[in-house]
Amino acid sequence: MKTLIIENIDPKKIGELMTVSRLFCDIPDIIALGEGQIPGLFGKAWQTDKTVAANLVSSVTAIIKQENYDVILMSVSTLGTGLAGPLSVALSAPVVTEVTFVHPDMVIERPVYGGKAIIKQKLESTPAILTIRRKYFETAKLEGTTESVLLDSIEQKVKLVAEKHEQTEGIPLEDADVIVSGGRGIGVSDNFTMLQHMADQFNGAVGASRGAVDEGWASPTKQIGQTGKIVAPSVYFAVGISGASQHLAGIANSKCVVAINKDEDANIFNRARFGIVCDYKKIVPVLTQAIMEDR
Amino acid sequence: MHIAVLAKVVPDYEVPSMDFELSNNRAHERFSRMLGLYDENAIETGIQLKGKTSSSLTIISYGLESDIQFLRKGVAMGADKLVLVKGTSDDAGIIAQNLKQAIDNLEDVDLILAGQQSADMDRGVVPGILAQMLGTAFIPQVGYIDYKNGDWTVSQMTATGQRELEFQGPGVLSITSIPENVPRIPAVRAIFAAKKKPVIKLNGIEQGKMPLQEISVEIPKIESVCEFIDAQDPNEAVKSLLTRLSEERYI
Ligand SMILES: Cc1cc2nc3c(=O)[nH]c(=O)nc-3n(C[C@H](O)[C@H](O)[C@H](O)COP(=O)(O)OP(=O)(O)OC[C@H]3O[C@@H](n4cnc5c(N)ncnc54)[C@H](O)[C@@H]3O)c2cc1C
Ligand SMILES: Nc1ncnc2c1ncn2[C@@H]1O[C@H](COP(=O)(O)O)[C@@H](O)[C@H]1O
Repeated sequence: MKTLIIENIDPKKIGELMTVSRLFCDIPDIIALGEGQIPGLFGKAWQTDKTVAANLVSSVTAIIKQENYDVILMSVSTLGTGLAGPLSVALSAPVVTEVTFVHPDMVIERPVYGGKAIIKQKLESTPAILTIRRKYFETAKLEGTTESVLLDSIEQKVKLVAEKHEQTEGIPLEDADVIVSGGRGIGVSDNFTMLQHMADQFNGAVGASRGAVDEGWASPTKQIGQTGKIVAPSVYFAVGISGASQHLAGIANSKCVVAINKDEDANIFNRARFGIVCDYKKIVPVLTQAIMEDR
Repeated sequence: MHIAVLAKVVPDYEVPSMDFELSNNRAHERFSRMLGLYDENAIETGIQLKGKTSSSLTIISYGLESDIQFLRKGVAMGADKLVLVKGTSDDAGIIAQNLKQAIDNLEDVDLILAGQQSADMDRGVVPGILAQMLGTAFIPQVGYIDYKNGDWTVSQMTATGQRELEFQGPGVLSITSIPENVPRIPAVRAIFAAKKKPVIKLNGIEQGKMPLQEISVEIPKIESVCEFIDAQDPNEAVKSLLTRLSEERYI
């Protein structure tokens, strides 16, 4: 099946989509956004440094029609989400977002009800548009690079005025082997520093639940879950997090979850491998100290 | 100026996984119903914009007539009226067609706000479909919104930070959560007043179904194997935890 990947130039995201594409074809084509070389070997490649989804809809639609693609793959991101719905109307195509598994015969799996259930749907026509949830497919190793032609005729419906990337010290959440996440149970903003100290000892990263982000204790870029980052560390410490299914949706592929919560009935203990029922303020400093001494 | 907010009533999204149950491939009817969480963020954003731009605010929903009682919470938060398109479909194409019908019916909508994701279907796709049907721009994951001299300036929350984007309306924005749009709790007086606000009911249409066939909906098995570590003595607890983590080769 003729497959097109649409993605920012990011080897990890492109690598995951490459893995998915192999379920449909040998070598996919790509529309790559951003500057730099396109990593990996593709059939045809188009590129532009324009990255606002709303401005790309008509030029991308034209290419998909011209080349007769069967499957269009994007990851769940502001780009993928920004394009998926509009493309589906422009192409009269079925769209399935947040895909976590692909079965034969165009049957696609995705979570519903905050990950409490899984729906299977069959795509009944092509082209079909899929956005893929991060960390559910292996990152394919991308050999070489592909020369591209310019993607042109881009509209200017929406103007990009400024872009800010947050400075993150240390390891990004998505790559961290140990994550220490705080929730609303942390109680005050300052105590996130306590979690940072603990994460530092493990050479890990700090994450947060939506509860903590809503309180303004952690930046939205730190949110983990269905609508935040999807992570897959070896150890995930959930501190003062109740374990809502939408939070758990972001840590499904973590190897070991350690829950520290003062409520023994908290749902997080149903997902945790190890649980400590306690006020986190009594445990986290002791744990941090112990690892420090152990080094 | 007229702002519309799209809001969906969904089964209680806080039900823990262990208690979740299906009937006819959907959440069991026994679960209570409520406004979607991100839809409440969108309503809150709409109300703040209404204040800043002296706009009127309409909540639009496609769903069951019996859900009007839950939509009234949104009205009580500060909307002026409610439009309900009656229907039962979960198909994103059909939902968008029906929401479009409501918007066409209102005629003068300048900006449309939606939630980032519905709290049952979790897909974040309806607003983008609707925008393309209306021929307007769609911007997902918007936090802050400002209006100056005919231009909308919005901040899009990305995985790595923020983007400031500018466009001329109308447009469809899906709203994410930020500390500034945590939904307000309506005052008792507002709840009573909301009961008197107008509700326009429209009959739904069955057009626009996506070429997607539903095969199954299943609840994944959850294996609970939590090993509780005694926390009486924090030093001992930490020691046991670290020992167990290294025995099992997690660290
Ligand atoms: C469509 C949708 C998408 C969503 N996406 C996400 C998402 O991506 N990420 C996400 O996190 N949420 C998401 N949510 C929200 C989710 O449903 C929950 O509301 C949220 O995860 C709750 O955050 P919390 O666990 O920090 O807060 P709470 O549920 O308030 O839990 C706080 C916990 O802290 C414990 N606690 C309190 N004090 C202490 C103490 N001193 N020591 C130890 N423990 C203590 C309490 O016992 C409690 O269990 C989403 C919801 C919807 C509807
Ligand atoms: N039935 C509906 N009625 C009103 N708004 C809806 C409906 N379904 C979806 N929406 C809007 O579209 C957003 C995304 O929905 P979804 O694509 O189902 O995740 C929701 O947060 C709502 O704002």
